[in-house]
Amino acid sequence: MTILSHRTATSSFWCLCVLGGVAGALLLNGYYAFVIGQIALLAIAGIGLNVLIGLSGQFSFGHAAFYAIGAYAVAICTSRGWLPFWLAWPLGVTLAVGVGALLALPALRVKGPYLAMVTIAFGLIAEQTLVEAESLTGGQSGILQIPPLSVLGLALGDRAMAIVAILVAALVMTAYNLLYANGWGQAMRAVRDSENAAASIGISPTLTRVVAFMISAGCCALAGGLSAPLNSFVTPQSFGLNFSILLVLSVVIGGAGSRLGPVMGATVIGLLPELLSSFEAYRILGYAALVLLVLWLAPRGIAGAISRAAPDHAAPVNAEAFSSLLPRRHRDALSGCGIGIRFGGVRAIDNLDIVVPAGTVTALIGPNGAGKSTVINILGGFYRSDDGERLIGEQVLPPGRPWLSARAGIARTYQTSALFDSMSVEDNVLLAMRKGHLGKLYGGALNRAAADVRHARALLKTCGFAGATSTCAGDLPHVDRRLVEIARALATDPDILLLDEPAAGLSRTEKRALGDLLREIAGAGIGIGLVEHDMGLVMGVSDRVAVLRTGVLIAQGSPAEIHADPLVREAYLGERRIGGQAATVPKNGEPCLGTYALHAGYGAVDVLHGIDIEVRPGEAVALLGANGAGKSTLMRVLSGLMTPRSGHLRFDGLQIGALDTRSRVCQGLVLVPEGRQIFPELSVYDNLRLGSYSQPKGAAARMASILERLPRLATMLDRQAGLLSGGEQQMLAIGRALMSCPRMLLLDEPSLGLSPQMTSDLFDLLKLLRDEGMAMLVVDQMADLAVNLSSRAYILREGRISATGASADIISDKSLEASYFGNGA
Amino acid sequence: MDILPALLTGLALGSIYGLIALGFHITASVCGAVNFAQGSSAMLGAVLVWMMVEAGWPTPIAIGAAIIACGVYGLIVERAAIRPFLARKSEAWLMATVALGLVCDNAMMLVFGAEPRSLASPLAQASIKAGDVDLGIYPLHLLIPLVMLTLAAGIDLFRRRTLHGVAMLAVAQNRDAAAIMGIPVGRVIAAAFGLSSALAGIAGMLVAPLSHVESSMGVVLGLKAFAVAILGGLGSAWGIVSAALLFGLVEALVTLGIGSGYTQIVTFLLVIVVLAVRPDGLLGRAQVRKV
Amino acid sequence: MAILVSRRSILSGLAVGAAAALSGCGQRADRIGIGLITALTAQSAKSGEAISRGLSIAIDEINANGGLLGRRLELIRRDDESNPGKGVIAARELLYKEGVAVLFGGLDTPVARAIVPIATSARTPFVVPWAAGTAITHNGTAPNYVFRVSAVDELVDKAMVAFARNNYGARRPGLILLNNPWGQSNEKGLKAALAATALPLAGSEKFEHSDVDVTPQLGRLRAAGADCLLMVATVGPSAQVVKSLDQMGWDVPIVSHWGPAGGRFSELAGPHANRVKFVQTYSFLGADSPAKTRILAALETKYPDIEGPQDVTPAVGVANAYDAMHLAGLAIRKAGSLDGEAVRRGFTRIGRYEGLIKTYDAPFAHGQDALNESDYIWAEFDRGHIVPLPVKAV
Repeated sequence: MTILSHRTATSSFWCLCVLGGVAGALLLNGYYAFVIGQIALLAIAGIGLNVLIGLSGQFSFGHAAFYAIGAYAVAICTSRGWLPFWLAWPLGVTLAVGVGALLALPALRVKGPYLAMVTIAFGLIAEQTLVEAESLTGGQSGILQIPPLSVLGLALGDRAMAIVAILVAALVMTAYNLLYANGWGQAMRAVRDSENAAASIGISPTLTRVVAFMISAGCCALAGGLSAPLNSFVTPQSFGLNFSILLVLSVVIGGAGSRLGPVMGATVIGLLPELLSSFEAYRILGYAALVLLVLWLAPRGIAGAISRAAPDHAAPVNAEAFSSLLPRRHRDALSGCGIGIRFGGVRAIDNLDIVVPAGTVTALIGPNGAGKSTVINILGGFYRSDDGERLIGEQVLPPGRPWLSARAGIARTYQTSALFDSMSVEDNVLLAMRKGHLGKLYGGALNRAAADVRHARALLKTCGFAGATSTCAGDLPHVDRRLVEIARALATDPDILLLDEPAAGLSRTEKRALGDLLREIAGAGIGIGLVEHDMGLVMGVSDRVAVLRTGVLIAQGSPAEIHADPLVREAYLGERRIGGQAATVPKNGEPCLGTYALHAGYGAVDVLHGIDIEVRPGEAVALLGANGAGKSTLMRVLSGLMTPRSGHLRFDGLQIGALDTRSRVCQGLVLVPEGRQIFPELSVYDNLRLGSYSQPKGAAARMASILERLPRLATMLDRQAGLLSGGEQQMLAIGRALMSCPRMLLLDEPSLGLSPQMTSDLFDLLKLLRDEGMAMLVVDQMADLAVNLSSRAYILREGRISATGASADIISDKSLEASYFGNGA
Repeated sequence: MDILPALLTGLALGSIYGLIALGFHITASVCGAVNFAQGSSAMLGAVLVWMMVEAGWPTPIAIGAAIIACGVYGLIVERAAIRPFLARKSEAWLMATVALGLVCDNAMMLVFGAEPRSLASPLAQASIKAGDVDLGIYPLHLLIPLVMLTLAAGIDLFRRRTLHGVAMLAVAQNRDAAAIMGIPVGRVIAAAFGLSSALAGIAGMLVAPLSHVESSMGVVLGLKAFAVAILGGLGSAWGIVSAALLFGLVEALVTLGIGSGYTQIVTFLLVIVVLAVRPDGLLGRAQVRKV
Repeated sequence: MAILVSRRSILSGLAVGAAAALSGCGQRADRIGIGLITALTAQSAKSGEAISRGLSIAIDEINANGGLLGRRLELIRRDDESNPGKGVIAARELLYKEGVAVLFGGLDTPVARAIVPIATSARTPFVVPWAAGTAITHNGTAPNYVFRVSAVDELVDKAMVAFARNNYGARRPGLILLNNPWGQSNEKGLKAALAATALPLAGSEKFEHSDVDVTPQLGRLRAAGADCLLMVATVGPSAQVVKSLDQMGWDVPIVSHWGPAGGRFSELAGPHANRVKFVQTYSFLGADSPAKTRILAALETKYPDIEGPQDVTPAVGVANAYDAMHLAGLAIRKAGSLDGEAVRRGFTRIGRYEGLIKTYDAPFAHGQDALNESDYIWAEFDRGHIVPLPVKAV
């Protein structure tokens, strides 16, 4: 009932628009009929351009050229009597579509300002060509006295032509509405929202973009063809850059991507000159100012500002077993043989053999930076490996072109979940069900077949998604994003499902549900490749576990075997002991750094739930915990890079919650970030010098004393920092931090990706600093290193402090191991 | 015989585009956005110098004041048309800068008038003679490429030698890391836009004596400069300098060789072809694709 | 940016304001609308303003004498931005919405040509005070609603060739033309005029409005042995040609269409501005006449920036528009009504009228153009002022 009324309301609104336009054209004074005709033309071109800008997300400043192609085709053919209008018009549109496809080729290789330039250049070339091809186009003067439209030998007047324009606009609008909801339109939005995710459900981003280009070109030519008899003349000046900008403006002002937008935009842009006509010289000024105003106040355009969400009318479905949802068929295993890849000369993955058999869960684990995500990207076809090949069953998969891999049966999810944010949850799944087969351009809406919709909803429900399926994917909470992403991957009916850290950011109960879900999916015959940091989850659900360390497999086996493997234990916990346990700092001092009831998170995800930490002057404190526990988030909050949701931050007796990063650095609270984040293209000297940006006084003397301490850096001051080894970069990062006269260092994963020798050198340095009285808070995956360096430690687990105490006690505490390897194992 | 002056003039004009294009480079490398209506800043430079000279100010002071005013205009552009949109992670700065440029052009038309005016310079009155041979160019024609090269080198030096310059590079390479060094990222971005507009203003006042001052003079300058910036690669200052000289030469040679009707067609076709082959410009570095 | 009011309410406020502004339009019966479509912004704004001034002075005179048919005249201006598309929309607005009795307009030939069919189908006389394109009045319509008080390209082109031959003994002229519709249509006319006099053509070069440097084009002409340049370009670009000649050190005479007269040509072109001789229909610095004295006085009173005859630039715009308005007034008087067809016939029945440019005698009885070759004068810049050349030239 509600569905009906909403749909009826929408279509009756459009009927009213068309009828109103026609009535206006018939009844109002002849001038307004003409203006209405012009608005209709602008709307036609705008709707077409909206396919490109709104659906496919590409800006073009050259579409006036397509308009010109349509107009000139009609003008030339009809004024010379070569072809009647009704043949010349489609000819122009065909021509424009062809040229559009041609332009799409260079345009696809470029983005942002580069794309803008390609389209601008195209528009200028087209305009100049019209001027130079004088014998055909009439050159600068253009073609005048184009015969009016005639139907059955009757010449149409202004009013009749305006009505034709309105009817064509209505047709184009209908076509746009079809496209908006069907496979192609959704695929365009999908490619705009996330090119990678679109490729992973079998959609070719290139093809989709070319088609968007062709459609928009065709629509502009359609409008252009009509404009020729309506205006009765064409000149090259009418189709310059200004007109292209006007077209884009009409889309942006109206609201890119919305159905109503271009019509709104065309109406505003078409009527504005009427309102401003008596302002003469101030007119353009007012016009530009209005555009700025709309951009400031209504980022989603006028249509976006007044749109309301459609009511939800999802018919409830029940969860089913995957075995009944997924077709019963033979599923193949995925295997990678001898895979290797280099990034900028560094071997990231070396001669890796891995098999993901059907019907099982195969986990790939390893410390940060081991290359797990790279393996997933190679297996999914997103990276071209330098060596080796991928097989699904017996069939070799072509490298690159991930959409082909997706169609061959490899589905995947992403570390940061990549949904099509502007589409509804249901459409996300419905689109994936097409597996890249998008159907006809004028095909019906994706959600037209009731069976498809039921299937999509059942999949979502079975994956554990309990919310409304009409919700916009961008508005989902974090857990639901994960679930929808899995449902979407399953919708392609894959042989293999690759999951990249699906549990990141989930709570313990949510993780447990996820584990059950994975087992069910494997039970239905699909092979799962799982990359995950949460050891509890991995150990609980996996049939086999492979351990990766710096691009090499160091162990494979059942979860129990892996848990017992000393190599694996070392890779995670470390076995080295560095002498000189830190002296305990007396408790009575005023804390140097304190956080109280700190809450923080990203978007919909809560990461930290009430953190209380204190670091006393001269004290080294370790912050331990598995990946995803919230350590780096805490570091970002402390340094000021991230604003906490709530809570207090104190440093040296000062409230620093409201201070920005710069002021915190000036106070002496300095972060050595995860991944070092030195400036790769600057010299070592400049990197160090930047450290003193906030404390330029005495920088030279400071640098000399720091270099004394880091003799290796002193020999390579002029070297580009990006060329340094990992250990040298870490030294540089610390040296850089020391340059800003810190009173306390925040060290985030200093040992990440370093060789054992480098690591021990590094910690020797840190120990030295500690003994000199520098306060520090250390996060390190190598728990033993951090514990040895510190006098006290906190264990962070799922965003909460789960244990705290003297470092010596913590290291022998069971809870540390539990936090790394999970409870159950 | 007419080839030499045509080529030298081509280099001079190319350098004008190059100066404006360097402005695109500076902001694009720091924050990824550019002022699409950079031509307006060039116009502003020329018009302001004209107005101040007309009001009786000594020329050097007028030039200095105009450059500062252009820099301030750049700050306004950043505040009004860039920052609000970057904060929303929207690409609408593209349209916003175009609109702001229109506002600037038309406001100046109301202040300055629609008529072109002349900005005379002693450097563009007597052509240079080498012995008895008239080279057919003015000293200004030689000065312009010099100014561009000097400024390009100066910017390069500033960014490599001074702390604030290095900070600018740091923001371009890693915004978060720059912030934890205590570098005020927002102010660096604003400064980049100020500098960028000042460069365009210098270009405007350099080209004015060769042509004339007009409120609409910036449009074509800005467009060609943008083509140069894209051709050379937004990320590479020296790529832009080479592209500027190349663009100027090609313009002059095409006009000389096959007539001016084809100049635009050839030069902009060149841009498309280069981008089809090298999507990041002649000397631009390819972006790593992230999954 | 502090937003105190919600976006939605601001936008709806804008929409309401727009609707209110739209509803305020309408026609009034106590006045006769005189429409003008011309460039009020961009490069040609100064010329558009000159036309406005010519019309305004004439309208003031007519209104001071009791108006026409007992009603006052009112000038309604619209900007065409030199763009035919904008011109057409504005023409429809003035013809259908404002219901003007006579439509003036067309600074640029393409705009004027685009308006011709619209004015014709609205059966309203269209009077052109500037655009010189031959095809504007020779447009193949019957009855022809288009009248012109201005130069005609075809005739100007012939006059330019004759002037070059007679004054400079040109044997091998070269063409230097602005790459716009005006330049392109004159290219045809000049080539035809050269062919008619059997003069060889050294070459024909075009340049863009925005070109800072015209030396490559001029270099080609010099290499081809041109001994005189025939130029068709607007003020700024014309000045660019003179400057580029200076730069090249090429001393060659330039015979030009009336483009340079449009603004501060001598300021822009520098010391050698007087190298250019150009055609005019009228100069306020010529011989005195009662009409001239009267109009100058009126201009000085109405426009504070005019202090003497040298400030009336471009003079042709003022003079053509002034005469055209009075001729249109006579036509309406003859017609006795505002019916378009009657006014059109009124134009053809105008008898004698002592105007500013000349004394007209049945100007539209035999054609649509009131001015011809014998009305053209030649002029040059002298210390910033347009002064007519001695008559021997033509």
